[in-house]
Amino acid sequence: MSNRNPLDYSLNRPLSSGYNPIRYLFKDVILYFCLLSILIFGLAMLYSSSGQSVAMVIRQSVYVFFGLVLMTFISHLKPDSYKNILMHSYWVGLLLLIYVLVFPASGYSTSRWIDFGFFSFQPSEIIRLILPLSLIAYLCRKESAIQLSDWFSTTLAAFICAYLVFEQPDLGTSIIVFTSGLIPIYLAGLPYKIILVYLGSAALAAPFIWANLLDYQKQRVLTYFDNNVDPLGDGWNIAQSKTAIGSGGFFGKGYLEGTQSQLNFLPESHSDFIFSVVGEEFGLLGILILFFIYTLIIWRIFKIGFEARSNFERLACSSLGFIFLLFILINVSMVIGIIPVVGVPLPLISQGGTSIVVHLLAFGVILSAKKPYL
Amino acid sequence: MRNIQDLKKDEQDILSLKRRSKVVFAFLFILILASIFKIFQLTVLEKANYSVESEKNRIIEVPIFPSRGLITLEDGTIIAENIVTQGIFIQGSLLESSKDQLDILYRDVLDLERKFPVPQTTKQNQKIWLARDLSSKELAKYEFHKNSLSNVKLGISLRRYLPHKNLFSHVIGHLGPITSDERLSLSKTDYPVDAFIGKVGIEKVYEKSLKGSVGKSIIEVDVYGNKIREIERIDPERPQNITLSLNFKLQKIAREELGGRRGAVVALDPNTGMIKALVSSPDYNPNILNGSEKGILVKDSSKEEAPFFNRAISGSYPPASTIKPFIGLLGLEENIINESTIVEDVGFFQLKEDGRKYRGWKEDGHGRVNLNKAIVESSDVYFYQLASQLTIDRISNFLSKFGFGMISGIDLYNESKSILPTRNWKLGNIGEAWFVGDTINIGIGQGYITSTPIQLAVSVSAIATRGTIFRPKLIISNQDSKKPEIFKKVQIGNEKHWDSIEKSMISVINSWNGTAHNLYEEDGILIAGKTGTAQIKSLVDQELTVREEYEGVRQNIQDRDHALFASYGPVPNPNLVVIVIVENGESGSAVAAPIAKKLIEQNQINLAE
Repeated sequence: MSNRNPLDYSLNRPLSSGYNPIRYLFKDVILYFCLLSILIFGLAMLYSSSGQSVAMVIRQSVYVFFGLVLMTFISHLKPDSYKNILMHSYWVGLLLLIYVLVFPASGYSTSRWIDFGFFSFQPSEIIRLILPLSLIAYLCRKESAIQLSDWFSTTLAAFICAYLVFEQPDLGTSIIVFTSGLIPIYLAGLPYKIILVYLGSAALAAPFIWANLLDYQKQRVLTYFDNNVDPLGDGWNIAQSKTAIGSGGFFGKGYLEGTQSQLNFLPESHSDFIFSVVGEEFGLLGILILFFIYTLIIWRIFKIGFEARSNFERLACSSLGFIFLLFILINVSMVIGIIPVVGVPLPLISQGGTSIVVHLLAFGVILSAKKPYL
Repeated sequence: MRNIQDLKKDEQDILSLKRRSKVVFAFLFILILASIFKIFQLTVLEKANYSVESEKNRIIEVPIFPSRGLITLEDGTIIAENIVTQGIFIQGSLLESSKDQLDILYRDVLDLERKFPVPQTTKQNQKIWLARDLSSKELAKYEFHKNSLSNVKLGISLRRYLPHKNLFSHVIGHLGPITSDERLSLSKTDYPVDAFIGKVGIEKVYEKSLKGSVGKSIIEVDVYGNKIREIERIDPERPQNITLSLNFKLQKIAREELGGRRGAVVALDPNTGMIKALVSSPDYNPNILNGSEKGILVKDSSKEEAPFFNRAISGSYPPASTIKPFIGLLGLEENIINESTIVEDVGFFQLKEDGRKYRGWKEDGHGRVNLNKAIVESSDVYFYQLASQLTIDRISNFLSKFGFGMISGIDLYNESKSILPTRNWKLGNIGEAWFVGDTINIGIGQGYITSTPIQLAVSVSAIATRGTIFRPKLIISNQDSKKPEIFKKVQIGNEKHWDSIEKSMISVINSWNGTAHNLYEEDGILIAGKTGTAQIKSLVDQELTVREEYEGVRQNIQDRDHALFASYGPVPNPNLVVIVIVENGESGSAVAAPIAKKLIEQNQINLAE
């Protein structure tokens, strides 16, 4: 690619290839098609894993529809037109995080939820995607090169969000939020000298942080190492999840035939552990097909990103692509028991309206980076 | 306007971005590889294990217990059945989350006397019984609090119930919660932790056949233990009902006549060995131990009387004068005496002129005594002399032919072995050599010799049948009811000796001077019997005079003699052997003999019906 002559770039603009309304509306047909198939598959899995609750599927469908409309709308905006809004959305996210700490919703043991009665959500679900977008918008707010102070201020911004989530307390999500903040900063070109400084100070602070972890957070980390110690706690969940996936074998037990999920042995089967239901009912084959579609989506994200015209668009796409991949990997590794239990849903499939809408919003930003077919 | 510089900068940015993307991807790639390997491991390499795990989760085996076999009498009377009681249980998986409900249950529903064991979660899919055998009051309270007790449920269990309560307690026995030791050798599915098992009596001896074989239902359950569907069912094998040879009326009379006094009655058919009545007194209500009835098991005042002790098969008593017919028979057999041999009974017996005096029960003696008179009047001196001439070796050898010193093998648990002393026995157990004095005491059934009521009944039945002893048995089973098992066969040299002994035993009642003449009725049934008075305090060399010993009722009831009566009737063709023992009853003729007579008479009425 590097041997391409820069001048070709302007010459190679597609000439009128005929107006196609579908291409115009969807912008990237492959990505759009993949998203739709994943979402529909997700609704089908939700039906199976929720004890065949039609109500839950309808509720989720409403979010999916709303999310798709939002995505399509954003995809037709010019990135420059909403860049500032994205940048300032950081403050909204920050306010929400502070709000849950100050006014925790009743009925939950930790202050993670905001409850509006008709619907409730976790601000951390939003901040996971809003944070990287706002950081990129901030770093790319000027045409000129990024200044030294910007690296520190963005890192601090990510750290504040992560710390607020940690205080909820939710160690796992806190780490994920921090990571999703660091990825765009790194991709934007964070100098390696600063990275060394960060690593050095982190190593010094580590013992202090461990001493301040709450017991249950330590417990979460420790149970990971021995699933048999505590068969009714997290270990029990993981054991049941592995049993579900393992017993699915290559072809699976069949749709709605998964005994682990249908008979409720699998906890949280409609949310964080929905991947186990996929494994149990569709087997390794189903998992591979799902992974293939996820791969297609990520391939399209990076393709759009690397073809985008502005640095903001490129950074937004690649950051979101990695974060999307990261979420999938974290959820899958958690469900199969190679990392500790953290509250990350399987993107676009797990039950949860906030997660779906925020993800689709991010895909709107990605699609908007694609040059329109005119 | 984009100029070349911008384009160059773009190009650099893209290059930098791609480089950095590769770094990020490298990190994530580790996770990708790990995940894919792990998923492959789960779904392909270890699939079999996880399939088993998954099946174990959803499929459970629920044992189906057949209701315990009934116990009936020959006439069809049910003497042990099963009744349904209600209990409260909770699923193991809900235990953790139901602490509040348990508090309500313990506080507002269950009786305070109940012990509340802290339930332990052992298995997720297991029922945990919080309380069993609820009273009607508790059931009413449960209904009232039902709405706040959503996780605890009512369940039924079968409990053993004896409709006649105490009457058959020492025969049937009772069930009790299985102990961990008992469980070791038994199938874990047949006997779960909370199973009941026969502890004593018929319930223990015939536990296996009464239990039947456990069936099972293989069902699919969800994580809460709710049944989804039944996959397979293997019906239990119903146990066979057991029929006992006991006679209801005889059993009832025997119990009523003992009237709660410490003692025992054994009545059996000498021609078959079938037990017609077996009562040990005092007794208890097995239903309370079986969990089918509430109440006080045993009054504190009667605890010392050992109501759980089955005196009829486990009580060891000196046979006392009831042994005299056997000693007399041996004397005839050995030609040491004949029917007309006379002994001068002056009230005591001395081996040598200046030796120790062995006193008879009658201070002045019985005068000139032959064998008949010796049995009828129960002359001690006659048998002191006879025993001293017979020697212990011959006595032991002969008595063992009648079952003395053995267990009879009745189909009940915990039968005691009676003691038939020999020289070796004494050396081994007492550590002393045998003295002639010991033999003299054996002659009147005192000293080292002991009998259990069941053993005595077996031995006496040999006289009634002229030598054939059948194994005593309670159960009438289909297979061998036709052919009673012969326990022992006593061969004697001269068959006429049976008749002379029997004649004397009839005279014990019919002759004016018989010790049980109080039983005599003109035109009554001919009964052969022998009274016995087992001494608790030794007669020999005591300060008390013989008269005081026998005629004054001793102040301390515990020191009074045991009253015995061994009998059979009617003669000829006796069909019932009855042994009655009343502890501290003092007089065999006055206390024990009338009970025996009633039973023999009632048996005649039964047979005539």
